[in-house]
Amino acid sequence: MAEIDFDGVTKIFGVGPPAVDHLSLHVDDGEFMVLVGPSGCGKTTALRMLAGLEEITSGTLKIGNAVVNNVLPKDRDVAMVFQNYALYPHMSVAENIGFALKIRGDSKSEIKRKVAEAASILHLSEYLERRPKALSGGQRQRVAMGRAIVRSPQAFLMDEPLSNLDAKLRVEMRLEIARIQRLLGVATVYVTHDQVEAMTMGDRVAVLRDGQLQQVDTPQDLYDHPVNEFVAGFMGSPPMNLVRCRVRAGNDRIEVDFGDQTIELPWHYTSSHELPASGLDVVVGIRPEDVIITDASSPNTIQTRVERREALGAEILVHLSHVDPNTDPSAYAENARADISRKASLVAKMGPRVKITVGDVLSVQLSPEHAHFFDAATGVTLRKRSR
Amino acid sequence: MTTLITPPQESDDREAPTPPSRNTRAKVGRWALFFAMVVIAVVMLYPFWVMIITSLKSEAQFLSGGGFSWLSWKHLSATIPVGQEVLSSTIVCSASILIILVVGLPAGFAFAKLRFRTSTAVFLVIVSAMMVPLQAILMPEFVNVTKLGLTGGYFGAILVYAALGTPFSVFLFTTYFRGVPDELIEAGIVDGLGYFGALWRLVVPIAIPAIATVTVLQFIQIWDDLLVGLLFIQNTSERPITVGLAVLAAGRTTSIPELMAGSFISALPAMIVYLGFQRYLVKGLTMGIDR
Repeated sequence: MAEIDFDGVTKIFGVGPPAVDHLSLHVDDGEFMVLVGPSGCGKTTALRMLAGLEEITSGTLKIGNAVVNNVLPKDRDVAMVFQNYALYPHMSVAENIGFALKIRGDSKSEIKRKVAEAASILHLSEYLERRPKALSGGQRQRVAMGRAIVRSPQAFLMDEPLSNLDAKLRVEMRLEIARIQRLLGVATVYVTHDQVEAMTMGDRVAVLRDGQLQQVDTPQDLYDHPVNEFVAGFMGSPPMNLVRCRVRAGNDRIEVDFGDQTIELPWHYTSSHELPASGLDVVVGIRPEDVIITDASSPNTIQTRVERREALGAEILVHLSHVDPNTDPSAYAENARADISRKASLVAKMGPRVKITVGDVLSVQLSPEHAHFFDAATGVTLRKRSR
Repeated sequence: MTTLITPPQESDDREAPTPPSRNTRAKVGRWALFFAMVVIAVVMLYPFWVMIITSLKSEAQFLSGGGFSWLSWKHLSATIPVGQEVLSSTIVCSASILIILVVGLPAGFAFAKLRFRTSTAVFLVIVSAMMVPLQAILMPEFVNVTKLGLTGGYFGAILVYAALGTPFSVFLFTTYFRGVPDELIEAGIVDGLGYFGALWRLVVPIAIPAIATVTVLQFIQIWDDLLVGLLFIQNTSERPITVGLAVLAAGRTTSIPELMAGSFISALPAMIVYLGFQRYLVKGLTMGIDR
């Protein structure tokens, strides 16, 4: 078991922008690190460099204390689980799991013992003689895991191993992989584009975009304190509402404009954030769960109209657009059915029992305690580094 | 879409004729196809039938048209060393196919899975050799092999057959290996294999249809070839069966039943190999269609 250290690792394919751009990331021994990001962000390339399947253009990559830039994959002592499992179709489950040990030259009895042990952990004991084609997706996935764990490697590398499974199985396997990783305590780098997997599985999560590391943190800190608009929008489902507003400050008051409406912010934001000067723009971020329905008489509310409603069973996602506060709300409600749905500017997450229909005009409060502020030009958080 | 439903009790002669249903059309189509296939099968099998029947006659019976005799089979082995010639053909075929596979498998793997700067250009050059007819390069080949002193025994012919068959095998294996997921090979490499290990232990076992296809097609081609054997194997004790048959046919008095018996012996191995590998052959030739 070992630590993993990316130090300024860069990968450039031919000419063009780097696929991975000066990635510096440390994975502790036994840590479950998730690399997450949209398609093409470089997360798989980073993992493949770690496995030795891609050459490193520049930078230093260490496994344990050894620099592995020029070490062959077979000598890195890492095990990899692939997206499509990559099981050897002409071998039985037992042969698949024990293949690496056979190549390593372990004795037959040792291989048998370790395969049986891995199969027992993965509940595969009764399928050992089957060929991969006779297994379900979940079982194949477990065989792929078995092939990795049987080697007791220095690190597990997993490249979107759950993306070929159906939703229910994915949840089960998510827990299963996390359980096995905790059980074995091996440093794991797990690549996914699914932020739910990232949030639920990782000890820490590294968010990548265009080959660059955006933020690495614990899932909760990533959610609560995103360093930029991209991370704020990427982590969380549905994503954070990001609205460009104008700041107005003066007389111990600080306000932001939401279209024609205004919200007053708690004064402490001026000390915790580097808010722009009055009259300049800022991007305000509000999580959907922090958009609260209230009555019109409450302070700091904005008037919105329900444009769409998505009932997910345990919760309802309500897509809201701003309305002109000077217009009679009933006019919006009456024309609800005739109107073509307009572009929503806010998404709110509400309880399943809330009675809401499309066209309703609602007063909502944007929980001011949980607002995020980002620079309108760079997208970087305006929060001061106090943590 | 309109569906015509005709109740059984109303379908008598007085009814206006209705267009044939889809079912009937399908049945007619199937029968037509069956009939066409029977005709094609008869056309294909007739020469075999003639060959077998003719070989089971004496010279006199062949000229008179009736009768049955093993005489031509008995005379055949006295006229030409059939056993030795079949053995020679087998040696030349096996060795050539072995070289074709040993060269074609790693080359196909390299072209399909290992990216290198000029791989596409080199691949095209090799594959374009498939389009050069044997006759066009026969003389230069002969001069080269003669200079190497290899025109006596098997070796020269084996090299020429291997050189002629390798481009096709490289093409077929490259196409086949392109369909093998990269991740399978990468999994093997992470598990501790090198590229040759991955080829031998992971790719070859799943490339049996492609290997069978190359083997069968090359076997038929080499086994049936006369020209290369005639030119490059000059020791009479090592000549293949096709050369033996040619000698038989070129004799002053050619016995047609003997020639047919020899031809049957010559055709038999190719037929056995084809029938034995037929299942893989179809799989190998149609690979890529369902992707």
